[in-house]
Amino acid sequence: MKLVAVTACPTGIAHTYMAAEQLERVAKKMGFSIKVETQGAMGIENELEQDEINEAAAVIFAVGITVQKPERFEGKKIFEFSVQEAIKNAEAILNKVKEEIGG
Amino acid sequence: MKVSKFKQYLLSGVSYAIPFVASGGILIAISIAFAPMTSQGPDFSRAPFLKLINDIGTVAFSLLIPVLSGYIAFGIADRPGLVPGFVGGYIANQVGAGFLGGLISGLLAGFLVFYLKKIKVPVYIKPVMPILIYPVVSSLIIGFVMYRIIGAPIHDLMLSITKWLEVMGTGNKVILAIILGSMIAFDMGGPVNKVAFFFGAAMIQQGNYYIMGACAAAICIPPLGLGLATLINRKLWTEQEREAGLAALGMGAIGITEGAIPFAAADPLRVIPVIMTGSSVGSVIAMLGKVGDHAPHGGPIVLPVVDNRFMYVLAILVGTFVVAGIMTFLRARSKKKAETAPA
Repeated sequence: MKLVAVTACPTGIAHTYMAAEQLERVAKKMGFSIKVETQGAMGIENELEQDEINEAAAVIFAVGITVQKPERFEGKKIFEFSVQEAIKNAEAILNKVKEEIGG
Repeated sequence: MKVSKFKQYLLSGVSYAIPFVASGGILIAISIAFAPMTSQGPDFSRAPFLKLINDIGTVAFSLLIPVLSGYIAFGIADRPGLVPGFVGGYIANQVGAGFLGGLISGLLAGFLVFYLKKIKVPVYIKPVMPILIYPVVSSLIIGFVMYRIIGAPIHDLMLSITKWLEVMGTGNKVILAIILGSMIAFDMGGPVNKVAFFFGAAMIQQGNYYIMGACAAAICIPPLGLGLATLINRKLWTEQEREAGLAALGMGAIGITEGAIPFAAADPLRVIPVIMTGSSVGSVIAMLGKVGDHAPHGGPIVLPVVDNRFMYVLAILVGTFVVAGIMTFLRARSKKKAETAPA
Protein backbone atom coordinates (compact mmCIF):
# COMPACT_ATOMS: atom_id res chain seq x y z
CA MET A 1 0.00 0.00 0.00
CA LYS A 2 1.28 3.42 -0.93
CA LEU A 3 0.82 6.35 1.44
CA VAL A 4 1.86 9.96 1.56
CA ALA A 5 2.09 12.13 4.67
CA VAL A 6 2.76 15.70 5.74
CA THR A 7 4.18 16.65 9.14
CA ALA A 8 4.28 20.21 10.50
CA CYS A 9 4.64 21.58 14.03
CA PRO A 10 4.63 25.25 15.10
CA THR A 11 8.36 25.75 15.60
CA GLY A 12 9.36 23.36 12.86
CA ILE A 13 12.72 22.32 14.22
CA ALA A 14 12.17 19.10 16.13
CA HIS A 15 8.67 17.61 16.32
CA THR A 16 8.09 17.91 12.58
CA TYR A 17 11.08 15.71 11.85
CA MET A 18 10.54 13.33 14.77
CA ALA A 19 7.01 12.65 13.54
CA ALA A 20 8.25 12.09 9.99
CA GLU A 21 10.90 9.69 11.22
CA GLN A 22 8.41 7.69 13.27
CA LEU A 23 5.95 7.40 10.38
CA GLU A 24 8.68 6.26 8.02
CA ARG A 25 10.12 3.78 10.49
CA VAL A 26 6.81 2.22 11.47
CA ALA A 27 5.49 2.16 7.90
CA LYS A 28 8.58 0.27 6.80
CA LYS A 29 8.12 -2.20 9.62
CA MET A 30 4.49 -2.74 8.65
CA GLY A 31 5.40 -3.16 5.00
CA PHE A 32 3.86 0.05 3.61
CA SER A 33 5.58 2.39 1.26
CA ILE A 34 5.33 5.97 2.53
CA LYS A 35 6.73 9.33 1.56
CA VAL A 36 6.65 12.01 4.21
CA GLU A 37 6.86 15.70 3.40
CA THR A 38 8.05 17.96 6.21
CA GLN A 39 6.83 21.52 6.50
CA GLY A 40 9.21 22.91 9.10
CA ALA A 41 11.18 26.07 9.76
CA MET A 42 13.22 25.37 6.62
CA GLY A 43 10.08 25.43 4.49
CA ILE A 44 8.82 22.42 2.57
CA GLU A 45 11.30 19.54 2.36
CA ASN A 46 10.97 16.18 0.64
CA GLU A 47 8.06 17.70 -1.27
CA LEU A 48 5.35 15.39 -2.52
CA GLU A 49 4.88 15.36 -6.29
CA GLN A 50 1.36 15.50 -7.64
CA ASP A 51 1.73 12.01 -9.19
CA GLU A 52 2.79 10.60 -5.87
CA ILE A 53 -0.24 12.10 -4.19
CA ASN A 54 -2.53 10.84 -6.94
CA GLU A 55 -1.17 7.33 -6.63
CA ALA A 56 -1.35 7.19 -2.84
CA ALA A 57 -4.12 5.19 -1.21
CA ALA A 58 -4.46 7.79 1.53
CA VAL A 59 -2.99 11.03 2.85
CA ILE A 60 -1.88 11.37 6.46
CA PHE A 61 -1.51 14.79 8.09
CA ALA A 62 0.39 14.85 11.39
CA VAL A 63 0.16 18.57 12.01
CA GLY A 64 -0.19 21.26 14.64
CA ILE A 65 -0.53 24.08 12.11
CA THR A 66 -2.28 24.57 8.79
CA VAL A 67 -0.86 22.55 5.91
CA GLN A 68 0.75 24.53 3.09
CA LYS A 69 -0.36 24.02 -0.51
CA PRO A 70 -3.50 22.13 0.55
CA GLU A 71 -4.94 22.22 -2.98
CA ARG A 72 -2.61 19.35 -3.92
CA PHE A 73 -4.67 16.99 -1.78
CA GLU A 74 -8.11 17.90 -3.08
CA GLY A 75 -10.32 14.88 -3.50
CA LYS A 76 -7.98 12.57 -1.59
CA LYS A 77 -8.92 10.72 1.56
CA ILE A 78 -7.16 12.66 4.33
CA PHE A 79 -6.52 11.38 7.84
CA GLU A 80 -5.57 14.14 10.25
CA PHE A 81 -3.68 13.56 13.49
CA SER A 82 -1.65 15.70 15.87
CA VAL A 83 2.14 15.71 15.65
CA GLN A 84 2.26 14.23 19.14
CA GLU A 85 0.20 11.23 18.12
CA ALA A 86 2.61 10.47 15.30
CA ILE A 87 5.63 10.70 17.57
CA LYS A 88 4.14 8.64 20.37
CA ASN A 89 2.15 6.07 18.45
CA ALA A 90 2.69 6.02 14.71
CA GLU A 91 1.62 2.40 14.69
CA ALA A 92 -1.90 3.22 15.86
CA ILE A 93 -2.17 5.86 13.15
CA LEU A 94 -1.12 3.49 10.41
CA ASN A 95 -3.36 0.74 11.72
CA LYS A 96 -6.31 3.08 11.72
CA VAL A 97 -5.59 4.21 8.16
CA LYS A 98 -5.19 0.62 7.05
CA GLU A 99 -8.48 -0.36 8.61
CA GLU A 100 -10.41 2.54 7.09
CA ILE A 101 -9.18 2.07 3.56
CA GLY A 102 -9.29 -1.68 3.84
CA GLY A 103 -5.70 -2.20 2.67
CA MET B 1 -15.53 25.47 14.48
CA LYS B 2 -13.50 23.19 16.69
CA VAL B 3 -11.15 24.64 19.31
CA SER B 4 -8.26 22.58 17.99
CA LYS B 5 -8.70 24.25 14.59
CA PHE B 6 -8.44 27.67 16.25
CA LYS B 7 -5.22 26.64 17.92
CA GLN B 8 -3.91 25.42 14.59
CA TYR B 9 -4.58 28.79 12.97
CA LEU B 10 -2.94 30.75 15.77
CA LEU B 11 0.08 28.46 15.81
CA SER B 12 0.42 28.76 12.03
CA GLY B 13 0.90 32.50 12.50
CA VAL B 14 3.22 31.97 15.43
CA SER B 15 5.40 29.59 13.45
CA TYR B 16 6.09 32.30 10.88
CA ALA B 17 6.56 35.01 13.51
CA ILE B 18 9.10 33.30 15.78
CA PRO B 19 12.16 33.93 13.56
CA PHE B 20 11.28 37.65 13.53
CA VAL B 21 11.41 37.76 17.33
CA ALA B 22 14.80 36.05 17.19
CA SER B 23 16.15 38.46 14.61
CA GLY B 24 14.83 41.60 16.32
CA GLY B 25 15.47 40.50 19.89
CA ILE B 26 19.04 39.38 19.36
CA LEU B 27 20.13 42.27 17.13
CA ILE B 28 18.74 44.83 19.58
CA ALA B 29 20.28 43.00 22.56
CA ILE B 30 23.69 42.91 20.87
CA SER B 31 23.62 46.61 20.00
CA ILE B 32 22.63 47.53 23.54
CA ALA B 33 25.18 45.22 25.13
CA PHE B 34 28.09 46.93 23.38
CA ALA B 35 26.91 50.54 23.61
CA PRO B 36 27.94 52.62 26.64
CA MET B 37 25.08 52.66 29.14
CA THR B 38 23.86 55.98 30.53
CA SER B 39 21.02 56.87 32.85
CA GLN B 40 18.90 57.62 29.76
CA GLY B 41 19.58 54.18 28.32
CA PRO B 42 22.28 53.11 25.87
CA ASP B 43 24.23 55.91 24.19
CA PHE B 44 24.62 55.40 20.45
CA SER B 45 25.97 58.91 19.68
CA ARG B 46 29.52 57.65 19.19
CA ALA B 47 28.66 54.21 17.94
CA PRO B 48 26.96 54.61 14.55
CA PHE B 49 27.44 50.97 13.62
CA LEU B 50 25.74 49.77 16.79
CA LYS B 51 22.96 52.23 16.09
CA LEU B 52 22.61 50.66 12.65
CA ILE B 53 22.34 47.17 14.15
CA ASN B 54 19.77 48.49 16.59
CA ASP B 55 17.76 50.05 13.74
CA ILE B 56 17.80 46.80 11.75
CA GLY B 57 16.64 44.85 14.79
CA THR B 58 13.87 47.36 15.36
CA VAL B 59 12.62 46.86 11.80
CA ALA B 60 12.52 43.08 12.29
CA PHE B 61 10.52 43.64 15.46
CA SER B 62 8.09 46.00 13.82
CA LEU B 63 7.36 43.34 11.19
CA LEU B 64 6.63 40.73 13.83
CA ILE B 65 2.99 41.62 14.54
CA PRO B 66 2.00 42.11 10.86
CA VAL B 67 3.60 38.76 9.98
CA LEU B 68 1.86 37.07 12.89
CA SER B 69 -1.50 38.51 11.91
CA GLY B 70 -0.96 37.97 8.18
CA TYR B 71 -0.08 34.31 8.52
CA ILE B 72 -2.89 33.56 10.94
CA ALA B 73 -5.23 34.87 8.24
CA PHE B 74 -3.24 32.89 5.65
CA GLY B 75 -3.77 29.75 7.70
CA ILE B 76 -7.53 30.28 7.67
CA ALA B 77 -8.23 31.71 4.23
CA ASP B 78 -5.07 30.91 2.25
CA ARG B 79 -3.53 33.61 0.06
CA PRO B 80 -6.43 36.07 -0.05
CA GLY B 81 -6.10 36.28 3.75
CA LEU B 82 -2.63 37.80 3.60
CA VAL B 83 -3.58 41.38 2.70
CA PRO B 84 -6.16 42.08 5.42
CA GLY B 85 -4.05 40.08 7.87
CA PHE B 86 -0.96 42.18 7.27
CA VAL B 87 -2.92 45.44 7.18
CA GLY B 88 -4.70 44.57 10.43
CA GLY B 89 -1.45 43.55 12.10
CA TYR B 90 0.27 46.74 11.04
CA ILE B 91 -2.56 48.77 12.52
CA ALA B 92 -2.39 46.70 15.72
CA ASN B 93 1.24 47.78 15.97
CA GLN B 94 0.40 51.39 15.22
CA VAL B 95 -2.34 51.74 17.80
CA GLY B 96 -0.28 49.89 20.40
CA ALA B 97 -2.51 46.83 20.51
CA GLY B 98 0.57 44.60 20.39
CA PHE B 99 0.57 40.86 19.88
CA LEU B 100 -2.92 40.43 21.26
CA GLY B 101 -4.18 42.90 18.68
CA GLY B 102 -2.24 40.98 16.04
CA LEU B 103 -3.81 37.67 17.06
CA ILE B 104 -7.29 39.14 16.91
CA SER B 105 -6.79 41.00 13.63
CA GLY B 106 -5.37 37.83 12.08
CA LEU B 107 -8.37 35.77 13.16
CA LEU B 108 -10.86 38.41 12.05
CA ALA B 109 -9.16 38.89 8.70
CA GLY B 110 -8.95 35.16 8.12
CA PHE B 111 -12.59 34.44 8.87
CA LEU B 112 -13.76 37.50 6.96
CA VAL B 113 -12.01 36.36 3.78
CA PHE B 114 -13.01 32.75 4.40
CA TYR B 115 -16.65 33.82 4.22
CA LEU B 116 -16.12 36.36 1.45
CA LYS B 117 -14.77 33.51 -0.65
CA LYS B 118 -18.04 31.63 -0.18
CA ILE B 119 -20.08 34.33 -1.87
CA LYS B 120 -21.11 33.08 -5.30
CA VAL B 121 -20.20 35.44 -8.12
CA PRO B 122 -20.80 35.30 -11.88
CA VAL B 123 -18.03 33.54 -13.78
CA TYR B 124 -16.90 36.67 -15.61
CA ILE B 125 -16.12 38.49 -12.32
CA LYS B 126 -14.37 35.53 -10.77
CA PRO B 127 -10.83 36.32 -11.97
CA VAL B 128 -10.90 39.80 -10.45
CA MET B 129 -12.08 38.60 -7.03
CA PRO B 130 -8.69 37.56 -5.57
CA ILE B 131 -6.67 40.40 -7.10
CA LEU B 132 -9.14 43.24 -6.67
CA ILE B 133 -12.28 42.64 -4.66
CA TYR B 134 -11.04 40.53 -1.72
CA PRO B 135 -7.98 42.68 -0.93
CA VAL B 136 -9.84 45.99 -1.15
CA VAL B 137 -13.00 45.00 0.67
CA SER B 138 -11.33 42.93 3.35
CA SER B 139 -8.62 45.46 4.25
CA LEU B 140 -11.18 48.23 4.34
CA ILE B 141 -13.31 46.30 6.81
CA ILE B 142 -10.45 45.03 8.96
CA GLY B 143 -8.76 48.43 8.94
CA PHE B 144 -11.94 50.11 10.08
CA VAL B 145 -12.50 47.55 12.84
CA MET B 146 -8.93 47.82 14.09
CA TYR B 147 -8.71 51.63 13.99
CA ARG B 148 -12.18 52.54 15.16
CA ILE B 149 -13.58 49.67 17.20
CA ILE B 150 -11.22 47.22 18.88
CA GLY B 151 -7.76 48.83 18.59
CA ALA B 152 -8.05 51.13 21.57
CA PRO B 153 -9.57 48.66 24.07
CA ILE B 154 -6.90 46.06 23.22
CA HIS B 155 -4.23 48.72 23.62
CA ASP B 156 -5.55 49.47 27.12
CA LEU B 157 -5.69 45.79 27.97
CA MET B 158 -2.10 45.22 26.80
CA LEU B 159 -0.98 48.23 28.79
CA SER B 160 -2.61 46.91 31.94
CA ILE B 161 -1.10 43.42 31.44
CA THR B 162 2.36 44.93 31.01
CA LYS B 163 1.85 47.20 34.02
CA TRP B 164 0.57 44.30 36.10
CA LEU B 165 3.63 42.24 35.24
CA GLU B 166 5.90 45.14 36.19
CA VAL B 167 4.43 45.85 39.58
CA MET B 168 3.65 42.23 40.41
CA GLY B 169 4.53 41.23 43.99
CA THR B 170 6.93 38.44 44.88
CA GLY B 171 4.17 35.97 45.67
CA ASN B 172 2.52 36.45 42.29
CA LYS B 173 5.89 36.26 40.56
CA VAL B 174 6.51 32.87 42.12
CA ILE B 175 3.08 31.65 41.05
CA LEU B 176 3.55 32.94 37.51
CA ALA B 177 7.00 31.33 37.32
CA ILE B 178 5.62 27.99 38.52
CA ILE B 179 2.87 28.13 35.91
CA LEU B 180 5.31 29.02 33.13
CA GLY B 181 7.82 26.37 34.18
CA SER B 182 5.15 23.68 34.41
CA MET B 183 3.69 24.58 31.03
CA ILE B 184 7.12 24.55 29.37
CA ALA B 185 7.91 21.09 30.74
CA PHE B 186 4.43 19.58 30.45
CA ASP B 187 4.48 18.60 26.79
CA MET B 188 8.12 19.35 25.94
CA GLY B 189 7.71 21.58 22.93
CA GLY B 190 4.07 20.80 22.23
CA PRO B 191 1.13 23.21 22.19
CA VAL B 192 1.03 23.89 25.96
CA ASN B 193 4.74 24.63 25.93
CA LYS B 194 4.22 26.96 22.99
CA VAL B 195 1.57 29.01 24.80
CA ALA B 196 4.00 29.81 27.63
CA PHE B 197 6.83 30.28 25.16
CA PHE B 198 4.93 32.68 22.96
CA PHE B 199 3.73 34.66 25.95
CA GLY B 200 7.41 35.15 26.83
CA ALA B 201 8.31 36.01 23.24
CA ALA B 202 5.46 38.51 22.98
CA MET B 203 6.54 40.15 26.21
CA ILE B 204 10.05 40.66 24.78
CA GLN B 205 8.46 42.86 22.19
CA GLN B 206 6.66 44.78 24.95
CA GLY B 207 10.01 45.40 26.64
CA ASN B 208 9.60 42.88 29.46
CA TYR B 209 12.39 40.31 29.29
CA TYR B 210 11.72 38.52 32.57
CA ILE B 211 8.90 36.28 31.35
CA MET B 212 11.15 34.91 28.63
CA GLY B 213 13.98 34.67 31.18
CA ALA B 214 11.87 32.35 33.31
CA CYS B 215 10.84 30.33 30.24
CA ALA B 216 14.42 30.15 28.95
CA ALA B 217 15.64 28.44 32.11
CA ALA B 218 12.66 26.05 32.13
CA ILE B 219 13.12 25.12 28.47
CA CYS B 220 16.47 23.37 28.88
CA ILE B 221 15.97 21.79 32.30
CA PRO B 222 14.00 18.64 31.31
CA PRO B 223 16.53 17.35 28.75
CA LEU B 224 19.54 18.46 30.79
CA GLY B 225 18.18 16.93 34.00
CA LEU B 226 17.23 13.61 32.41
CA GLY B 227 20.52 13.48 30.51
CA LEU B 228 22.42 14.09 33.72
CA ALA B 229 20.40 11.40 35.48
CA THR B 230 21.59 8.80 32.97
CA LEU B 231 25.18 9.77 33.81
CA ILE B 232 24.81 9.72 37.61
CA ASN B 233 24.03 6.03 37.91
CA ARG B 234 24.38 4.36 34.54
CA LYS B 235 23.23 0.97 35.79
CA LEU B 236 19.70 2.27 36.31
CA TRP B 237 19.25 2.92 32.60
CA THR B 238 19.10 0.75 29.53
CA GLU B 239 21.61 1.09 26.72
CA GLN B 240 19.00 2.90 24.64
CA GLU B 241 18.17 5.33 27.43
CA ARG B 242 21.82 6.14 28.01
CA GLU B 243 22.17 6.98 24.36
CA ALA B 244 19.03 9.13 24.51
CA GLY B 245 20.53 10.76 27.60
CA LEU B 246 23.55 12.00 25.69
CA ALA B 247 21.35 13.31 22.91
CA ALA B 248 19.17 14.99 25.55
CA LEU B 249 22.20 16.79 27.01
CA GLY B 250 23.10 18.12 23.59
CA MET B 251 19.55 19.20 22.85
CA GLY B 252 19.22 20.78 26.29
CA ALA B 253 22.38 22.80 25.73
CA ILE B 254 20.89 24.38 22.62
CA GLY B 255 17.50 24.90 24.24
CA ILE B 256 15.40 22.14 22.71
CA THR B 257 13.01 20.69 25.29
CA GLU B 258 12.09 17.88 22.88
CA GLY B 259 15.21 16.02 24.01
CA ALA B 260 13.20 14.85 27.01
CA ILE B 261 10.51 13.18 24.91
CA PRO B 262 12.03 9.68 24.66
CA PHE B 263 12.08 9.49 28.46
CA ALA B 264 8.61 10.93 28.92
CA ALA B 265 7.17 8.64 26.26
CA ALA B 266 8.55 5.57 28.03
CA ASP B 267 7.53 6.57 31.55
CA PRO B 268 5.15 9.56 31.41
CA LEU B 269 3.60 9.29 34.86
CA ARG B 270 6.92 9.71 36.61
CA VAL B 271 8.96 11.74 34.13
CA ILE B 272 6.44 14.49 33.40
CA PRO B 273 5.75 15.51 37.03
CA VAL B 274 9.47 15.43 37.76
CA ILE B 275 10.47 17.66 34.86
CA MET B 276 7.56 20.00 35.62
CA THR B 277 8.95 20.35 39.13
CA GLY B 278 12.49 20.94 37.93
CA SER B 279 11.46 23.49 35.33
CA SER B 280 9.27 25.31 37.85
CA VAL B 281 12.16 25.53 40.30
CA GLY B 282 14.38 26.93 37.56
CA SER B 283 11.71 29.42 36.47
CA VAL B 284 11.19 30.67 40.02
CA ILE B 285 14.92 31.22 40.54
CA ALA B 286 15.22 32.99 37.21
CA MET B 287 12.16 35.15 37.88
CA LEU B 288 13.26 36.17 41.39
CA GLY B 289 16.85 36.64 40.18
CA LYS B 290 15.55 39.12 37.56
CA VAL B 291 16.90 37.09 34.66
CA GLY B 292 15.99 38.77 31.39
CA ASP B 293 16.20 37.02 28.03
CA HIS B 294 16.22 39.09 24.84
CA ALA B 295 15.86 36.16 22.46
CA PRO B 296 12.80 33.93 22.05
CA HIS B 297 14.77 30.82 22.84
CA GLY B 298 16.12 29.07 25.91
CA GLY B 299 18.97 27.02 27.28
CA PRO B 300 22.65 27.78 27.82
CA ILE B 301 22.98 28.81 24.18
CA VAL B 302 21.20 32.15 24.74
CA LEU B 303 23.56 33.15 27.59
CA PRO B 304 25.13 36.01 25.55
CA VAL B 305 21.79 37.83 25.29
CA VAL B 306 20.69 37.19 28.89
CA ASP B 307 20.71 39.77 31.71
CA ASN B 308 21.84 38.60 35.16
CA ARG B 309 23.80 35.70 33.75
CA PHE B 310 24.89 34.33 37.09
CA MET B 311 21.31 33.85 38.25
CA TYR B 312 20.43 32.33 34.88
CA VAL B 313 23.16 29.71 35.15
CA LEU B 314 22.20 29.08 38.76
CA ALA B 315 18.53 28.60 37.81
CA ILE B 316 19.47 26.07 35.12
CA LEU B 317 21.88 24.19 37.39
CA VAL B 318 19.47 23.92 40.31
CA GLY B 319 16.56 22.85 38.11
CA THR B 320 18.75 20.30 36.33
CA PHE B 321 19.95 18.81 39.61
CA VAL B 322 16.40 18.65 40.94
CA VAL B 323 15.31 16.61 37.91
CA ALA B 324 18.40 14.40 37.92
CA GLY B 325 18.19 13.85 41.68
CA ILE B 326 14.52 12.90 41.82
CA MET B 327 14.75 10.71 38.70
CA THR B 328 17.73 8.81 40.07
CA PHE B 329 15.93 8.29 43.37
CA LEU B 330 12.72 7.07 41.70
CA ARG B 331 14.59 4.78 39.33
CA ALA B 332 16.66 3.25 42.09
CA ARG B 333 13.57 2.64 44.19
CA SER B 334 11.55 1.01 41.43
CA LYS B 335 14.52 -1.12 40.43
CA LYS B 336 14.94 -2.33 43.98
CA LYS B 337 11.25 -3.14 44.16
CA ALA B 338 11.46 -5.10 40.93
CA GLU B 339 14.41 -7.09 42.24
CA THR B 340 12.88 -7.94 45.59
CA ALA B 341 9.44 -8.70 44.24
CA PRO B 342 8.72 -12.39 43.76
CA ALA B 343 9.02 -13.36 40.14
